[in-house]
Amino acid sequence: MSDPVLIIGAGVAGLTAAVELADSGVNTIVVEKLPTVGGNALDLYKAFPTDDCFYCFEGNRWRPGIRKCFYRSALIDQPNMDLKINSYVEQITGNSGKFEATIHVGPEYIDAKKCIMCGLCIEYSSAFSLVSPQCQPQAVTYDPDKADEGDKKAVEECPTKAINLDAQPKKETVSVSDVVIATGYHEMKPVNVDEYSYGKHPNIVTQLELAQILDPIGATDGKLLRPSDGKPAKRVMMVQCVGSRDENYYPYCSKICCVYALKHANILTEERDASQVSVVYMDIRTYDSHERYYREARENGVEFVRGRVARVEPKDENELDIIVYDSLLDKYLKFTVDLFVLSSALEPPEGMDNIIDSLGLNVASGFIAPADLVSENEVVAGDHIYACGTALGPAEVPESVTQARAVASKILQNRK
Amino acid sequence: MPSYNLYMGCSVPANYPNYEAAMLKVAKELGMELEYMEGVACCGSPNLRAIDFMGWLTVNARTIAIAEKNGHDIVTPCNGCFASLKDVYHHLKHDDAHKKQVNAVLKKEGLEFKGISKPRHFVEALYSDIGIEEIQKKITKPLDGVGIAIHYGCHVLRPKDVTEFSPEIYQELVKVTGATVIDYPLWKQCCGATVLPVNEELAIRLARDKLKSMTEAGAVFATVACPACGNQLDLQQLGLKESYGEEYNLPVLLYPQILGLAMGMDEDDVGLSMNRVPAGSIIEHLTE
Amino acid sequence: MTEADEKDGPPVVLVDPIDMSKLDSEFRNEIKSMPYGDELNACFACSTCTAACPIANVWTYKPHQLIRMIILGMREEVLSSDEIWLCLTCFQCQERCPQKVRVTDIFFDCKNLAAEESKIPETIVGLAKTLMEKGQLYEVTADWEREDMDLEPAVPGLSTNEFKDIIKATRTGKIVGGEE
Ligand SMILES: Cc1cc2nc3c(=O)[nH]c(=O)nc-3n(C[C@H](O)[C@H](O)[C@H](O)COP(=O)(O)OP(=O)(O)OC[C@H]3O[C@@H](n4cnc5c(N)ncnc54)[C@H](O)[C@@H]3O)c2cc1C
Ligand code: SF4
Ligand code: SF4
Ligand code: SF4
Ligand code: SF4
Repeated sequence: MSDPVLIIGAGVAGLTAAVELADSGVNTIVVEKLPTVGGNALDLYKAFPTDDCFYCFEGNRWRPGIRKCFYRSALIDQPNMDLKINSYVEQITGNSGKFEATIHVGPEYIDAKKCIMCGLCIEYSSAFSLVSPQCQPQAVTYDPDKADEGDKKAVEECPTKAINLDAQPKKETVSVSDVVIATGYHEMKPVNVDEYSYGKHPNIVTQLELAQILDPIGATDGKLLRPSDGKPAKRVMMVQCVGSRDENYYPYCSKICCVYALKHANILTEERDASQVSVVYMDIRTYDSHERYYREARENGVEFVRGRVARVEPKDENELDIIVYDSLLDKYLKFTVDLFVLSSALEPPEGMDNIIDSLGLNVASGFIAPADLVSENEVVAGDHIYACGTALGPAEVPESVTQARAVASKILQNRK
Repeated sequence: MPSYNLYMGCSVPANYPNYEAAMLKVAKELGMELEYMEGVACCGSPNLRAIDFMGWLTVNARTIAIAEKNGHDIVTPCNGCFASLKDVYHHLKHDDAHKKQVNAVLKKEGLEFKGISKPRHFVEALYSDIGIEEIQKKITKPLDGVGIAIHYGCHVLRPKDVTEFSPEIYQELVKVTGATVIDYPLWKQCCGATVLPVNEELAIRLARDKLKSMTEAGAVFATVACPACGNQLDLQQLGLKESYGEEYNLPVLLYPQILGLAMGMDEDDVGLSMNRVPAGSIIEHLTE
Repeated sequence: MTEADEKDGPPVVLVDPIDMSKLDSEFRNEIKSMPYGDELNACFACSTCTAACPIANVWTYKPHQLIRMIILGMREEVLSSDEIWLCLTCFQCQERCPQKVRVTDIFFDCKNLAAEESKIPETIVGLAKTLMEKGQLYEVTADWEREDMDLEPAVPGLSTNEFKDIIKATRTGKIVGGEE
C-alpha cells in the first residue's frame, strides 16, 4: 500500500482534492488549522456563477446529501480521509515521493463524533462556541483561553459525554507520497490604506464582512444592518481595488472582487431593501460570462461612479459622508451612506512564505507559482508537490475546484 | 401594379418640385402607382417630436390612419417624413397605451390607427417592390461608371430597428444606373440639417465636412433622397466659398433624377436646371 | 452647480462637491418611463456614444456625460443644457451603444421634459409657431416652378386644418400660446 497524500488546508480546493483522491482509493491526510473545514467559502451565502449555495455546484450534485452538505457526506462516510482540525504542519523533510511530515495536532477537546450540537455547553461557559451552523465537523469548539467555572458543569451535563478538557496536543509524524498545498488566501484588513478609515468607524467593512452580514445564518440572520446601531442600512457604497493594483500594497488585480462586489450589489438591491447602492471603481473587471452580474446590477439601479474616493468624513457614529471624484464628469460628488464596503485585496495567507521557503517552491506575488513557469501544469509546484485553489492566487470556486481535480488526476496517474 | 399612398410632406413640394416630378415620372415608367394622399399636412419634423411628443405621434398616426382606409403602404420621398411616420408606426405598434390615446383623438375624424399601412421611403419601395432586375430593363442610357457618392441620410439609416433600411438598397439603385458608388469615410455622418435652426454655423460645418470627404474620395457627383439633405449639401455649397474659402462644385442630384436620365428622360423632365450647383455635366456621362 | 447653501464663508477645503442628496434621484426613473427610455440604466459609461457623435467635440457635456447626469439625477443641468438642442438627431451614438441605450431617443425625451418647463430655444419656438399657424414648415411660394415641372401649382390633397387642431390641443398649443 502506498503512503497517503498530505493535503494542507481544508477549503474548497483542499477538500475537493481530498474527496476525489479518497473516492479513488487513495488515503489522504487533511490538515486544517481552524476548527472547521470550508475556509473562506464558509459564510459566503450565494455564490457566483450559479447563485447557489457553496457546496452545491452542479458538478457535485450526484453526491448524496442535502444542500450544503457535499462535504459533510464525504467527511462522515469516506474512510480514506483523515481530517485533522486545529492542526498545522510543523515540518516536511525528504523529497520526491518520500516525505516525512510532522504535524501538530491540536487537543481534541470535543469529540466531534459524539457532539450533537445541542448547545448546552455554550449556555454554561463562554469557552464553548459554534463557529458556524455549517461547520464541518459538526461540533462545537472549545477555547481554553476562555476557560471558566462553567466548563466543568458542561462536561458533566453534556448528554453525549463529548467533552474532554484534559485533551493534549499531539505531534504526529507521517510518511506521505505527495504534498498538496491548498492554503488559500486571506482578505487583507485594509487598516493601512488610511484614506478609507477602515477600523476607525464601525460602518466601514470589507466585502468578506459584508458577506457575513448577508449570510442568512449569520449574526444578523442575513438582514442588512448597520454594525454601529443595528438599524437597517439603506445606503451602501462600495469601493473597488482597495490595496489591489496598487504598487504600495499588491500590484496584482485580485481578479474576483469585482464579481463578488456585483454579486453583493445585486443581493442588496434584489433581496434586501437597500435604497441606494453605489460602486466606485477604476475598471470593472468581470471576466467570462460574469459580465451578466454587471449588467444586472445596472438594471437594478446600482450607481457606478468611475473615479476614486477623495475623502471619508464620518457624520456621526452611524452615517458617513463620502466625497468621490467622478472622472467621467470631472466633478466631485458627495454621498451620505450607512455602510461603506471596501473590496480589499486578496493576499497570501499567513505562513505561506514558510511553506514556500521550506519546500523551495517558486513564488509569484506571495502565492505559489508553478514549478515550470511556461508549462500548462499550473498545479505542479515541485516534485510530487502540488498546489490548487487560491494558494495559486485569487480565484473563484469553480476554478479552485478544477485545479483540485487536476491535482487528483495527476497524483492518480503517477500511481498507476 | 403596386399602388401606394404618396405622402409628400411639405418640403419637397415647396423646395424641390424637380424631385417630385422626377419621382412621379420614374414611378410611372416602372409601374408604381402613386396616389397623392387626401387631407394630410406636415409630419412636424424632428422638431415637433422634440417639443411635443404627443402632438407628433397624433399627426403622424393620423396620416397612417388615412392611408389605412385603402390599406396601401405609404411612400414618401423625404427622409424626415419617413423617419417621423416610421417611428410613430413602430412606436404605436409597441405601445398600447399611446395607441389608445392617439386613437381617441383620431376617432373624432372617424379615423383609427391600426398599423396596417407601412410607411416606406420611395427608394426602398422602388428597390423592394420593383427590383433591380426590372429597373435594369428600363435603363437605356446607362452612366459611364462615373463616381457618385451617396448621402443616405441619418433618418433612413438609423435607428435601424425602426427604419429597417440598409445602405445596400441605395447602392444597388445607384449601380443599376451604370454609375460607380464612391466609398468615402464620412458616409454615415449627418448633413447637419437638424441643427440649422439652432446653430447655423455648426450646420454648415457639417455639410462642408461631408462634401470634403466625398470629393477627396473621388466623387464627381453626389446623390441624396431627401429635401433637407439636398438643401444642406447642394444649396449650402454656394455659401462655402465665403465661409470657408472652399469651392467644391460637387453637383448633388436627387436620386430619381439620375435614374430618370439613365432611363432616357431628358434634363427638363427631371428638372436638372433647378439644382443649385449646376448639374448639367451629368449628361456628358450618359452613354447610348 | 451645487446648491448655494448659506455657509459661513467658503468651505475648509477647495473641493465643493455636488451633494447627491440634493439631486433628483427619481430623474432616471422619469426618463426610464418615457418612450425608449427603458434601457437607460444599462449604460456603463463606456463613452462610445461620445466617440460616435460628430459634434460632441464642441459640447461642454458630452453624450456619455449627459446620460451619466441623468442617472445621477442632475435633472436641472440636463434639461437646461444647450446640448440636447444641438443634438443632430443623427442616431450615430445610439447605433453604436454597446448596451443598446437609446441615447438619441432619450435626448428627445429630455427635450420634451424641457419643453414642458418652457426651456426651449427661441428659434424652435419660432418653428412651433409656424407649425401652429401654417400647419406646415414650408409653404409653396414659387408655384411657377411646380408648373414648370408639370405639377399642380398647389400640392394635391394638402389640408392643414386638422394638423393645426391636433397640435393646438397638445403641448405645441401651450408653447405657442404661452408666447403670445
Ligand atoms: C467576499 C467574497 C465573496 C466571494 N464570493 C464568491 C462567489 O460567489 N463564487 C466563487 O466562486 N468564489 C467566491 N469567492 C472566492 C472563494 O472564497 C474562493 O474561491 C474559495 O474560497 C477558495 O478556496 P480555497 O480552498 O482555495 O481557499 P480557502 O477558502 O482560503 O481555504 C484555505 C484553507 O486552508 C487553511 N489554511 C491556510 N493556511 C494553512 C496552514 N498553514 N495549515 C493548515 N491549514 C491552513 C485555511 O484555514 C482554510 O481553511 C469569494 C471570496 C470573497 C472574499
Ligand atoms: S453539550 Fe455536548 S453535545 Fe451538546 S453541543 Fe456541547 S459538546 Fe456538543
Ligand atoms: S477584481 Fe476588480 S476590484 Fe478586484 S482588484 Fe481587480 S479590478 Fe480591482
Ligand atoms: S455608448 Fe451607451 S453604454 Fe456607452 S456611455 Fe454611451 S450610452 Fe452609455
Ligand atoms: S444623435 Fe445627437 S448625440 Fe447622438 S451622435 Fe448624433 S448629434 Fe451626437
